[in-house]
Amino acid sequence: MMGEQDLVKKEIDRRTFLKVTGAVGLGLTATSFGVPTLLKAEPKTIKIGSVQPATGPLAVIGQGQRRGNQLAVDYINAKGGIKSMGGAKLELLLGDSETKATVGRSEADRLIKDGASVLIGAFQSGTGMAIATLAEQRQIPFVMDVAALDVITQKGYKYSFRVFPTVTTFGKTACKYIEQMLKEKKVTPKRAVVTNTGDPFGKGQGGNFIKWFKKSGIPVEIVEHITYPLGIHDLSSEVAKIKAAKPDLLFPVCRPGDSIILTRQLLKQRVPLMGIISPGSPGWYEPKVIKDLGKLVYYIMDNVPWVNTASPVYQEANALFNKKYGGYLDTNSGFAYTGILVIADALERAGSGDSDKLLAAIRATDLKAQPMVGDAIRFAENGDNINAATAMVQVLPDPDPLKRVKVVLPKSFAQTDYVFPAPQIWDRG
Amino acid sequence: MDSTLALQLLIQGILLGGLYGLIALGLSLIFGVMGVINFAHGQMMVIGMYISYWIFALLGVEPYLSLVIVSAAIFVLGYVIQSSVVNRILDYPEAMQVLPLVAIGIILENTALLLWGPDHRSPHTAFSLDTIWLGEAMIDVSRLIAFSMAIIITFAIFIFLRKSNMGKCIRAAADNRMAATLVGINVSRINNFSFGLGAATTGAAGALLLPLMPLSPNLGHDFTLTAFIVVILGGMGNLVGALVGGLILGVAESMSTLFLPSTLKQVVSFGILIVIMLFRPQGLLGGKK
Repeated sequence: MMGEQDLVKKEIDRRTFLKVTGAVGLGLTATSFGVPTLLKAEPKTIKIGSVQPATGPLAVIGQGQRRGNQLAVDYINAKGGIKSMGGAKLELLLGDSETKATVGRSEADRLIKDGASVLIGAFQSGTGMAIATLAEQRQIPFVMDVAALDVITQKGYKYSFRVFPTVTTFGKTACKYIEQMLKEKKVTPKRAVVTNTGDPFGKGQGGNFIKWFKKSGIPVEIVEHITYPLGIHDLSSEVAKIKAAKPDLLFPVCRPGDSIILTRQLLKQRVPLMGIISPGSPGWYEPKVIKDLGKLVYYIMDNVPWVNTASPVYQEANALFNKKYGGYLDTNSGFAYTGILVIADALERAGSGDSDKLLAAIRATDLKAQPMVGDAIRFAENGDNINAATAMVQVLPDPDPLKRVKVVLPKSFAQTDYVFPAPQIWDRG
Repeated sequence: MDSTLALQLLIQGILLGGLYGLIALGLSLIFGVMGVINFAHGQMMVIGMYISYWIFALLGVEPYLSLVIVSAAIFVLGYVIQSSVVNRILDYPEAMQVLPLVAIGIILENTALLLWGPDHRSPHTAFSLDTIWLGEAMIDVSRLIAFSMAIIITFAIFIFLRKSNMGKCIRAAADNRMAATLVGINVSRINNFSFGLGAATTGAAGALLLPLMPLSPNLGHDFTLTAFIVVILGGMGNLVGALVGGLILGVAESMSTLFLPSTLKQVVSFGILIVIMLFRPQGLLGGKK
């Protein structure tokens, strides 16, 4: 009876199996090869190699990063280029890491061969780490616009700089804000669940947050820690597990995509929560996420480095961004923009694209005119921005979807007061 | 509480498994008839999802209704791919058949990226947030619909292959291409039709998946792989095997979260694959003659 259902009447033996699986292996390898882009060499411009995850699971963010980089390059060029170098123009060479660290490294290598005198990137910490070693070998300065894992700058590299806050900064400030909120609103949650993606950033951010949370002495027990793969398509079993842990608070580290599935599943499975507070991750503040989730995303908080709405640099950049691409500058595109500002500022002071002079100039950076929350950008010995900071933002109801993300803490940057405990997801209409 | 969790995971696994089965059905059909592995399978599903998405976004037609149009469109896509590319490579060694299909997959994925950008799109369709409660356990309505449709489509295709004239021709061509040609069957037309039919089922799966997961151009690759595991599990070219394989994989992945971290889900699916290959290389329902 079984045999009658067969369309194939030939038997499948090990030999056929080997052929077929061999072919499958070949096929899967072939799909992961990148297609190189041809770029032509042009003198009299300073080339900046930008490596971002423009395709793959993080493509949304990667393209936002590219836009941030490109917007700043166009802005500097429109203002007359690098004046100390006779108005030399900047040119952005585009590299695509395909959301993979190894590809990111080879892309960076290619951009150096194409004449990049400085590198920027890479959003993913793993990719940042891979490019940092390359930058060291080739003696090319590398400015990380976004990358959070502490370890990248703890290896004594001389050519790598990071504008973005570290995972440690995220963990410490998240706990500080959470403690402040519990105290101010006089609520006493008992149990919490931490979720994160399984890539280096997700694990680092989730694990590190738990470490600082325990150290902080906040009287909330973390009862479950769930890690799932980056680019996951279904979170129903993970949310069932969250529900079984009966948490009062959820601390998710997400990316766009899984944030949407997670929120919808929390609604479907009716998981009662006092609040959803991300220790710091994308997935909650992007215009597309906010549009697709509608009311479900309201009251979710995220501890992220955010734009400083009072800064004139931000206002100018955001207007340009909105005009050219729609939406708004967020954490990532904002830092992508800032990274280029750091490079342009250093080039202006160095008066040369020469790697040693540029390196010295980046090291001496003191950039006050920048669009993000935090003081002037200055680099410590290891290349970290000593003034990188995070803010607590909350998605709040506002008729204009582009204005729903508000800074609520620290009070000095706050646009409005926060809502905590939040109404349950199913009570939001 | 743990038994509730286990029940919940079981329900979700079964519902997801039905869909895995539907995605794999087309792959199995195409392999069964032509002996070709369609490496663009997941990507074709993604194109189906985009068509369904745009029909919903522009005309407001629910994915469950636009399913017919989506299937028809992907049928045409499959028909064209078969007649223009796959028919020419049928007699090549396996390794050489792979590359053109992988290339088609890359082209489809990047076309989607170029046309619609990298954004995750997750429209709020009817039922997409609805649930039914059985005591403590939740049943996701959109998943239940997708599951039921998957079963219906699988059996409809099964009956089509057994009873209709066209279906008999397809089975004849699958069984022995030479003999089928000798009795007057136009085999290359049958091949085109079969590839189209296999593609149409994956297009239908795409429409059913739209309410369930955010759509983005890079979704396809993972589903090609999932479909491949399911097909090996159930038996290459065996249609009911695809459904059974899908259910096993869905339940195994879902239940494994009880004992294992979610990051090890793929270990479970590939573990099952290895065990099956070692002890039953023809697949669970694959006949050995």
